Amino acid sequence: MSTPSSPPPETAAIQANHSLTIFEAAEQKSTLLTALSNSSKSLEVNLSGVDDIDSTGIQLLLFLKQEAQRQQKAVVYTHHSPTVLGVIELLNLAAQLGDPLLMPRGETA
Amino acid sequence: MNLDAARAALVEEARELLVAMEDALLQIEAGTGGPDGINAIFRAAHTIKGSAGLFAFDNVVSFTHIVESVLDRVRNGKLEIDEAMLSLLLKSGDYIATLVDAIERNTEQEEPNPALRSKLEAELKSYLDTSSVAQTALEAAEPEPAAQLEIDEGERVSSDNWHLSLRFNEDVLRQGLDPLSFIRYLCTLGRIVHLHTISEPIPAAEHYDAESSYLGYEIDFESDASRSQIEGVFEFVREESQIRILPPHSKIDEYIQLIESLAEPAGRLGEILIHGGALSESELERVLNQQQEQDRPPPLGTMLVEQQMVPPNVVSAALSKQKQSEEKRSHEQKFIKVEVGKLDQLIDLVGELVIAGAGANLVAKQKSVNAFEEAAQSVSVLVEQIRDAALTLRMVPIGEVFQRFPRVVREVSRDLGKEIELVITGAETELDKSMVEKLSDPLMHIVRNAMDHGLESTEDRILLGKPSCGIMRLNAFHDSGSIVIEVSDDGRGLNRERILAKAIERGLISAEQHLSDNEIYRLIFEPGFSTAEKVTNLSGRGVGMDVVKKNIEALRGEVEVDSTPEHGATIRIRLPLTLAIIDGFQVMVHGSVYVIPLEMVIECVDLVHQDYRHNIIKLRGEPLPFIRLRSLFGHPPSAAQQRESLVVVQYGSQRAGLVVDQLLGEFQAVIKPLGLLFQQMKGIGGSTILGNGQVSLILDIPHLIHMTSQREMPPMLATSRSELSEKINH
Amino acid sequence: MAKTILIVDDSFSMRQTVSIALKGAGYEVVEASDGKDALSKLDGRKYNLIISDVNMPNMDGISFVKAAKLLPNYKFTPIIMLTTEGDDSKKQEGKAAGVRAWVLKPFQPPALLDAISKLIMA
Repeated sequence: MSTPSSPPPETAAIQANHSLTIFEAAEQKSTLLTALSNSSKSLEVNLSGVDDIDSTGIQLLLFLKQEAQRQQKAVVYTHHSPTVLGVIELLNLAAQLGDPLLMPRGETA
Repeated sequence: MNLDAARAALVEEARELLVAMEDALLQIEAGTGGPDGINAIFRAAHTIKGSAGLFAFDNVVSFTHIVESVLDRVRNGKLEIDEAMLSLLLKSGDYIATLVDAIERNTEQEEPNPALRSKLEAELKSYLDTSSVAQTALEAAEPEPAAQLEIDEGERVSSDNWHLSLRFNEDVLRQGLDPLSFIRYLCTLGRIVHLHTISEPIPAAEHYDAESSYLGYEIDFESDASRSQIEGVFEFVREESQIRILPPHSKIDEYIQLIESLAEPAGRLGEILIHGGALSESELERVLNQQQEQDRPPPLGTMLVEQQMVPPNVVSAALSKQKQSEEKRSHEQKFIKVEVGKLDQLIDLVGELVIAGAGANLVAKQKSVNAFEEAAQSVSVLVEQIRDAALTLRMVPIGEVFQRFPRVVREVSRDLGKEIELVITGAETELDKSMVEKLSDPLMHIVRNAMDHGLESTEDRILLGKPSCGIMRLNAFHDSGSIVIEVSDDGRGLNRERILAKAIERGLISAEQHLSDNEIYRLIFEPGFSTAEKVTNLSGRGVGMDVVKKNIEALRGEVEVDSTPEHGATIRIRLPLTLAIIDGFQVMVHGSVYVIPLEMVIECVDLVHQDYRHNIIKLRGEPLPFIRLRSLFGHPPSAAQQRESLVVVQYGSQRAGLVVDQLLGEFQAVIKPLGLLFQQMKGIGGSTILGNGQVSLILDIPHLIHMTSQREMPPMLATSRSELSEKINH
Repeated sequence: MAKTILIVDDSFSMRQTVSIALKGAGYEVVEASDGKDALSKLDGRKYNLIISDVNMPNMDGISFVKAAKLLPNYKFTPIIMLTTEGDDSKKQEGKAAGVRAWVLKPFQPPALLDAISKLIMA
């Protein structure tokens, strides 16, 4: 997987919606894709406010990561809420979706 | 709310449903059942079965199930409903009622009547298609396939974990099924040793549908759960998804099949399996080699899933549905169900409020501060309104009782071979719920009695020139604070001479006594009286009209009878509307306060002390019997020249006077039942608590009126009154 | 945050008993007495799950589910339908409407709680 070579000043940041479930999935997909296209290098997604996430939400985070890669950009997830962390741990996705700064912790889980 | 309450609710609901079922059956018989009739019956059985299942009341479930199956066939047009089936269904309903009674008594483990049950079951089953019954039996008889006792001892993997391979249908999320939840639930059955999320199927943006499911999972799972338990986790998605579950130490062949059946490249899957510990590296090697040797067709390239991705034009439809639901809300349910217990609690509290309010009023009067008195007064007015409103909550239409009768009349008319039509009027008349329950038996007895003895046989009616079909009427209406219920028939009327003869024979009266017609008719309510020349199995059950009368009187009610020879008889029951709170009129006798129900007070007259030895005075030229409460309750006579008052009371058509020391005015009395010790006391209907905390007795006016006409003075009452008052006050 | 479940059944005692069981398991419960009543309660409130009987007066469970699936706020809400043996044709209809989770009546509360957990376990 790719990591941003250097933290660029052109990093955009976005706060994820509090609810990442199927009811918001379609709308969140376009919001996140737009945010991604508005940044030239990388997008930082703050997950601190996410208090509800289901399979569509997790899938969306994986999708965004994959899409960024296709566009030669990077997506970084930060400030994971406990709800998000719980799911990442359950599905063993720390390597893909963890906070790069905290990654080792996820790997050992 | 606890499970006991739920159990009680089940009993109550089941009874309501059984009544509805019976109603619908009778309508079908009468040919007036709409197309919904049979559906309603089916639903009743269905609901009873479902609710009973919640509590594992298996004997209800299994019996109702058979009934339901028969009804289902009727509903689907596979069976015609006929007279015999109607009777069978009615009887089955009765049996379910018996089972429900057992639940109420907490004796549901015992079958109340096994013989009847198997008879009914046999008859019901005869309606069920024999081939399907046989088939069910066959299915049940067929042994479970011996749980894969493999003869083929293939090579097994070393892992002692389960391996789960989950690939979901793309639509699962749209169907409200979240794989995440399944995985969490799986964790309750064991421990996930390793989980690998397969995210490769996630497509590029232009093909990515945010509501589709793309993720798959490979899970190594340590658990003592059975295969079916683990499979059960995925029961809702099994059909359309690929759920592979390999038990510990599965054969290598099964892993080959797994790898082949999945979309991912074999090598990639192999890595995952090794990583999770499902396969060792050497095992994987063997797996991959064997796979090549077997030279099978290439693994399926894509998952075989169907997808319906075209959502309908939801916007306009959604709008119209929302509008609909708004319209609905405006006339949303006009009823809510409330536990009777809660209602009783409310009534109790209102009762306490009334008493406390009276206390406040009393203090206000003593302080004689105008503003205080006014405030207390307006509180009283409100309390009175709350009381009335609270009491109406308990009011239910008497139709609840009446609706049992069409069935009864139908059956009795058959048993007796008499044509009888039942006419019900005033079913909407309301009365206190607690009375409804207690009214049912007495009414039943009266109706049966009238059909048995009152109505002539069809031949006799024809001979008499009457219409061959006899008429039974049930009627109810409100009359000045009471509810009146009438049971009439157009039969032969009461036989005055026969009653008289029987009463003399039984020693109820002496031959010399001269009685009015009404007095004679009233004799049928005397204990041990029965005019039936032969005891039929209907009304000759040893329960006489005296029991009816006793039951009605226990409700502070009264029974009377009207009869016209050759034209029929009417039994009239008069009951107070409620048992809980009454408007009372307080009077003072020798320092004690007594309460008279206000609705029975006609007028109050000042009395100048005079000689009333005859217990009759003339009021505006009319003779009026009266009782002196002082002597009735064993108080010393009043001093000469003391002013006294006469309270004229009326119940039904009879009047009497009560002589008291002083009139104290109106008061809301919360009726408290008398303890067992005092229930024998004639002339006392209950007790109440006054504003100052003192206990006061409520007079039983109907009984006192009766006493004045009998001119009797029970000595028991005369001696023990002061003692009684003492006991109650402590 | 407690999860909220809408239970739709014309049987008062069924609703009451299920409601006791669900509340005991920590869920919030909203009750509706038939499809129409239930539809009127799809008024923007969030339900984590809907449990509906099939056979009900006024509006049956299938019609209710079809209607619910048209409402943006409820089109994906998990649904458990309570069915009886012999409801096969109804089940097909329900399937077409998108229902996949079925619980066979009669059932006991633990069985229902299990089914619920499978769908909305957090």
